Order: sequence, then structure tokens, then C-alpha cells
Amino acid sequence: MFYKISTKKTPLSSLIMSLPEDVIIDILARVPRCDYPKLSLVSKHFRSLVVSPELYARRSLLGCTEHCLYAVIFNNETKDFHLYILRPKNNGNRCLVLIPSLPTMCYGVSFVAVGPRIYMFGGDQKNMASSIDCRSHMVQTLPSMPVPMSFTIAGSIDGRIYVIGYRDYNRWNNVMVVFNTKTQMWEPEIIKIDIELRSMWSKWSYGCVVMADKLYMRDDKNSFIYDPKKSKWERDERLNSKKWKCACVVDDVLYYHDTYKNEVRAYDPKQKRWSVVKGLEELLSETTNSWYSDIMCCGGKLALFFPKIIIKTKQNEVWCAEISLKKHRGEIWGRVEWYDNVLTGNCCVTKPLTVMV
Amino acid sequence: MSKSEKKIVLKSLDNEAFEVEKAVALQSQTIWVMCEDKCVGNEIPLENVTGQILAKVIDYCKKHAVVDGDGDESSEELKNWDTEFTKNMDQSTLFNMILAANYLNIKSLLNLTCQAVADKTKTIDEFHTFLNIENNFTPEEEAQICQENLWAFDD
Repeated sequence: MFYKISTKKTPLSSLIMSLPEDVIIDILARVPRCDYPKLSLVSKHFRSLVVSPELYARRSLLGCTEHCLYAVIFNNETKDFHLYILRPKNNGNRCLVLIPSLPTMCYGVSFVAVGPRIYMFGGDQKNMASSIDCRSHMVQTLPSMPVPMSFTIAGSIDGRIYVIGYRDYNRWNNVMVVFNTKTQMWEPEIIKIDIELRSMWSKWSYGCVVMADKLYMRDDKNSFIYDPKKSKWERDERLNSKKWKCACVVDDVLYYHDTYKNEVRAYDPKQKRWSVVKGLEELLSETTNSWYSDIMCCGGKLALFFPKIIIKTKQNEVWCAEISLKKHRGEIWGRVEWYDNVLTGNCCVTKPLTVMV
Repeated sequence: MSKSEKKIVLKSLDNEAFEVEKAVALQSQTIWVMCEDKCVGNEIPLENVTGQILAKVIDYCKKHAVVDGDGDESSEELKNWDTEFTKNMDQSTLFNMILAANYLNIKSLLNLTCQAVADKTKTIDEFHTFLNIENNFTPEEEAQICQENLWAFDD
């Protein structure tokens, strides 16, 4: 390991390429992930480094792993679902951009992000299970689901994904199956759901969230809680008092945007208490006419997606706001870090996802 | 311990000698191992580092030895000092610092300089000029990578 180092103005290429590979990986691991495509254009060697597992292992080791927001977008004109990524533009604004290398998504699929992957279950092909590796944006087919399922919802706890849905198209026959992301295999047991779950799917799924290692879901009427450790279904009447949907969880507190009342609400299951997030008046003046919204946790903050129609041009716009949260004297206060028009066109967000890359 | 034992002489590639406190020099694992070996005297030859770079490395080690020693300066101040330290370094110096930190095995300096390089790589033009690596793609290959990564580029 002896390199001759000269401070004369030698060509720099000899300098970076004279670094041991390990050090080059160390440098690249610290570069923001959205710059990786640019890095892969530097040279063939760099391109191979950018997709190497070592690089992502190093990012994780150095604490450089980023929370990256993706969104499944429904196009009202083509009736297609596509995956988009939220990224900063050179001018500092954010935008949702299509990932053109990915195929269209099916209707009725449930999405759940675990680590760097987005998992997809069900949909038109009822046995279908696949994942997108967000490091390379490649789709991988997974072992088929143990039973054909439609209108699924899914949540993950500790690397295990719980998929709940109708067996075939029978809404009276709900089952749950478990996919282990570590082994990439389905667990053999098909869990029969012994409570009455009505329709869990509106046009946009009500969704499923995880708090304190329990799954929270709701049908069109009631909320249900599943505790996998005890294999037990529970009810929470306080939670049930609000028609929450498209929710997310930060520090074991559930958040959702009530488009009817135009409030961001929080539910703390430990205290069994609903509250309204304070300090968002200015942002919420923008969402008075939003007919839908979806909220996602991203690195301890909230990302709220909402639509707007520009009356002058009759154009549809998708907006996103990032909200940081603070507890103060028992109240939850939100601070809007930024909000931007992130996409223009006749489309809407059906599922935001946070991926770790 | 006599005064002379507390000092150590580091000799650069271009024969520049630096007398430093042992505590300062021993932040380098490489120097630490050399001292443990006892096969070197009080003078340690560093055949891979020029005097110009070694002087900067010693500056860094002095600053960090003082702080670790008496804890007078806050970590905030140290962070600011680190930022200033790498802020105006040109690419050549920065890469030479990385090579030196790697050779001398000074983990915190390696972290700092690697981060400084990563922070300076911002736009595509800068990547090419900054890294100054010859682009060995054919135009077709380049177009394909651009196509695959359309999401990452501004219009």
C-alpha cells in the first residue's frame, strides 16, 4: 500500500483512481442518492460501483441512508398507475418524476415499503407478488401468494409483511398471509380472519398502518387491530370514533388529514386520545378544496400530498408539503418546512411510500 | 518521561522534518504501530506524504489532540474548524489529504476529507471536471444510461 503522492499539478484522474476502492466507495456513499445517476455517467467503473451492494452497505454503515419518497400516481386519462419519485430540482424546488423504466402497476395492488424495496401484492393477477428494488429500479418477481387474493391491504412489522384481503373475490372470506422479507418466502400458514371485516377497499384503500408492533386497519365502518405476537384481534372504540384513512405513523402516533373538516388529526393509542395538529392554518388554507389527500411519514416528518385545481387554466396540480412535528404541553405542533407544486397533469396520488436507500 | 521522549520527528517524502508532540502524532494508527515496533528511532520516515500535505495533517492532529486532551473547545467549535479546514482546499490537495489520511490511518481525517469531496460533487459538469475521469462510454451507452435514469435529470 504505497502510493507516491505529489502535490504538483498532476492530472486529477490519477489521484482519485489511485485511491483504494474502499476509499472511493467511502466517498460515493456520502454523495446524495439522487446524484447517483450522474455519478454512473462518469465512467464504466463508476457505473458498476453505483449499483454495487457494497456501496449501499457502506451508506448504511456511515448513517448516510436516506429516506426517499415515492408515490404511486393514477393517471385519469390513461387510467394507468405508475411509480414516481420525489426529488429536488436544480432550482431547489421538488418535483414528482416518473420512473420510465418501470411497468404500469395493476389496480387493487397493495404496496408496502420495507428497507430499499417496495413490495406489491395482489391486483389483477391475484397470486402476484413482486418487489421493486429502489436502488436499481428493477422489478423482481416473488414466489406467488399462497392463496389468490384480491383487494389486499398490507403492513410490515420487523421484516414480515402481513397481507390481508379477500380470498378470490369473496368479500366474506378474508384471509391473512405473511411474507418474510428476510427469507423472501411466504410463511406456510394461512390465517383465517375470525372477525367481520367488511369492505376494506374504497376506490382508494383506507390503508393499513403499524403502531407499537400492531397492525391497524379499518373497513368502511370499523377500525381493527391485529397483534401478531398474540395472534389476536382487538378493537379500540376511541380510534373508531374517527373515519381515518390514508394515515401514517410517526413515533407510534397515527396521523391523517381529514379532508372534510380540513384538519390534520393525530391519535395516540397509549393515551387513547385524538387531537388536532396545531400550527398548520396557512397550509390548510391551501387544502380547503382538496377532495383527497394522502399522508406519509418520511424521516420523522409528515409528507402531505394534496390536489389543487387552477381555475384559470383548469389544470390539475399535485402539491406536497413537508411538516415537522413537535410536542409542546401535551399538544402536537406542526411546522411546514416547505410546500410545492410537485406535479401538473390530470392525475392523483394513490399511495405514497417511503423507501430507505 | 523526559521532554525529548514526548516529541517525535516526522520526515516527509521530500525530506522535510516536523517535530511534534507524540500525542499529536499517535492519532495516526500507522505511526502508532511504527512506534510500538520500536524498530524506528525518534524519527519516523513517511515515504508517501509530501511536506506540504504533512504540514496540514499535523495541523489537523494538533487541533484534535488539544480538544481531546483538555476538552476546552466545544464539539461545535471543532466542527466549524473542520469545515473551515477543508473549505478552501483545491481538489488536488483534498485528494492528497485523503491519500495521506488513508496511509496514516487517521479515521476522523479520512471521514472529514471523504465527506468534503462528496459535498463538492454537485452537478454533472462538476462531477466530470471534479473527478476528471475520462468518460469511456460510447454515445449509445451514454444515451441508454440517460434513458434509464431520466427521472434524475432536470429538463
